[in-house]
Amino acid sequence: MTSENQPTGPGGSDDVLTIRGLTKQFPGTLALDDVSFSVRRGEIHALLGENGAGKSTLIKCVCGAYTATAGEIAIDGKPVSIATPADATAAGIAVVHQHMNLVPTLSVAENLHLGERLPKRGGLLHWRQVHQRARAVLDRVGVDVPTTALVQDLRPEQHAMISIARAVSADARVIILDEPTNALLPHEVDRLFDQMRKLAARGHSFLYVSHRLSEVFQIADRATVLRDGRHAGTFDRADMTHSGIVEAIVGRGGAIAERRVQSHVRPGTLMRVHDLSGQRASGITFDLAPGEIVGIAGLPGSGADETMNLLFGRNRPTGGWVEIGGQRFPLRDPADAIAAGIASVPKNRLAEAIFHGDSVRSNVTLTSLSNYLREPLLRLVHRGREDKAAQEMTQRMRVRMPGIEASIDDLSGGNQQKVVLGRWLSTGASVFLLNSPTAAVDVGAKKEIYDLIDDLAKDGKGIVFASTELEEYGLVCDRVFVFSAGRVVGELAGTEVSEPNIMTLAAGGAIAA
Amino acid sequence: MSMTDTAKDNTPAARRIDWISFLSRWGTLISLGLLIVLFTIGRPEVFMTLRNMLNILNQVSILGMIAFGLTICLVVGLFDLSIGAMATFGGYFAARFLAELGMEAGVVVALVIVAVLLLSALVGMINGALISYLGISAIVETLAMSFVVTGAVLGVSGGRTVYATEIPDAFTIIGQGKIAGIPNPVLILLLLGVVLWVFLEHTQTGRNMYALGGNREASRLSGISFSRYALIAMAISGACAALGGLVAGANLGAGRPQGVGDVYLLNAFVAVFIGASTLKPGKFHILGTAVGVLLIGVINNGLSVMGVATFWQYIVQGGILILALISASLNAVRRV
Repeated sequence: MTSENQPTGPGGSDDVLTIRGLTKQFPGTLALDDVSFSVRRGEIHALLGENGAGKSTLIKCVCGAYTATAGEIAIDGKPVSIATPADATAAGIAVVHQHMNLVPTLSVAENLHLGERLPKRGGLLHWRQVHQRARAVLDRVGVDVPTTALVQDLRPEQHAMISIARAVSADARVIILDEPTNALLPHEVDRLFDQMRKLAARGHSFLYVSHRLSEVFQIADRATVLRDGRHAGTFDRADMTHSGIVEAIVGRGGAIAERRVQSHVRPGTLMRVHDLSGQRASGITFDLAPGEIVGIAGLPGSGADETMNLLFGRNRPTGGWVEIGGQRFPLRDPADAIAAGIASVPKNRLAEAIFHGDSVRSNVTLTSLSNYLREPLLRLVHRGREDKAAQEMTQRMRVRMPGIEASIDDLSGGNQQKVVLGRWLSTGASVFLLNSPTAAVDVGAKKEIYDLIDDLAKDGKGIVFASTELEEYGLVCDRVFVFSAGRVVGELAGTEVSEPNIMTLAAGGAIAA
Repeated sequence: MSMTDTAKDNTPAARRIDWISFLSRWGTLISLGLLIVLFTIGRPEVFMTLRNMLNILNQVSILGMIAFGLTICLVVGLFDLSIGAMATFGGYFAARFLAELGMEAGVVVALVIVAVLLLSALVGMINGALISYLGISAIVETLAMSFVVTGAVLGVSGGRTVYATEIPDAFTIIGQGKIAGIPNPVLILLLLGVVLWVFLEHTQTGRNMYALGGNREASRLSGISFSRYALIAMAISGACAALGGLVAGANLGAGRPQGVGDVYLLNAFVAVFIGASTLKPGKFHILGTAVGVLLIGVINNGLSVMGVATFWQYIVQGGILILALISASLNAVRRV
């Protein structure tokens, strides 16, 4: 039951947000070129496109961060002028960003009141009313968390819901979600989507930006694709096909990624893991052959991430051992793992792998500087050799950049990830731990990263792969261990490796526990 | 397509940004140049003379040594508030040991200096160990250490200054002598600057320090041990501060147990932070620190040559730091 009175636009259309001929000219580039589409009432509308296609520019124009060069934005059919973020809020547009704008150390109730005037009584805060108001907002979006809970104690999808609740409480007509699921795991995404559908059914409209195509099919009523700043098509639910949308996104037919044609597994054993145990996972035992890609899958807290951390010495093992090339080694710290020939691409690229403000060169050579020293005592670096190595590695990784001295921050997510992969390749590591290597990477770059992983396997490297996108295991892995409640509950190999199979095992195990 | 992809992303709003990034790179150097021009016009016969230039360098040499050391630990992301106390420590103990030994030989002086520097490096390593192994905040730990060191020097000295008559000439010459017309402290500063510049920019150790300061977790995942570099950085910072105090003592011809280092503590921070908004915005580096130190020297010398009241030195110095920080933050804002 919605109590808002909804003014009908001229012409009685059902469109809440209408974008007409939106154009944004930057010096030297046309970032948006005459884009028109609309979001209907109660609709979940996906906005798709590669990095640089104009999605972020469009969102920034709609939410008042940029002023459009030309074109019109209308809410309920009435043109609105949006010059500042405050204008956008007043017009009923709310944006939930990729990194939720919440204060982790404050309570849910306080977060819901951020930037608002709090109810007072006798000059002091009226806490009871604050919590009552927060409760009402949460009930409206159907989120069942105590208003006194600290945001940092909530699950990631609950963060997203709290942000959405804030937007709903501000009577937003359109809620723009900018890649809200990047940090989420499949079942968290499902819960988020359930609640989004309920809100949509009650007349709230969503513009949903994501890199994950499978989610778009799961949630979107319609999808608009941008390519090179132009509108490349709007698809109704009925017309949405995988190949059709991919073609609109990349502008050249073909699937994003096919299953690997052949495995590169060679005889022999590269790494042996025996009964490895830690705080949140135990009894991990497997052999990794040269050229093999082993997946470690599971829901959060299942032990999959813990396994990746244990193998790299990020968390200290409480038992068991690991050997590479027949040599056992300690795992007290990542430095131990690196010394033994293990490389790791961590899950959170921006926080754990990228050295911001530094050049591509120093980002790629950091772990292999020892190879380019003039002498071992003072550890003077031979710049010529370092530059050459950086050139070669970035070329091999097909990094698109103005040059090796460009700032790493100026590269797209996919190219940054290639730099991180290259960093480890130059160390001569034999085992690669890859945790969500394609997170927040656009479709085209994803394919390239899959190819690079395949190249690693072809070279005889051993790869341990984990991802928050279950469909990737089927694209990448030779076999997959599925974790639940800290233990391996199943092993899938070859064509058995599929999203439904992994999900079944992961969830089944969870129920059993 | 490869090049245009990234080039495209950079061009938006390029014209507006150019000014900001230009100012944040060159702003401090421009203000240094402007000040020099201003003072030269104001008192051409006094300010712009070789003698006064050497004088400025001599005046800032001790500050420079301390600020160079501080640069190293700020690169790793650690504040060192013990440098003032460590300067007093170095100056006092060098004089005291020499007075106790009572030997004039240059070798003895050299050995005593090495011993004092090693001792102060050891104190720095204790700082580094407490900070990295116990995870204590560097600001608080080094503040505490500065009290301990100050107290220890006062206790050992009983508050008594070691006077020139007790100190061998081979020591005082370090602070008072000249080589080829250039004061020894200036030469020591230049040497230290070159060594630390090579260390930070051209050795793996220095590069790893920058990595740690940039992203500690990513560094750990790259096999770079924080505690090891924290130890090295704090040791260098402590030794540089002691070296500064030692040269100050030699210059003065006395080993004072208090009040030597305090004046340098805040100035050193000002110099290093001005430096971090020079040429490479947001990055601590030796060349920048050198510019910051020079700026402070030129302001103090120029204003006093012009006969301006001392309080203006503080205001101008603080004002320039604020301007430097503003330009650096404008540069940071556009990155978001």
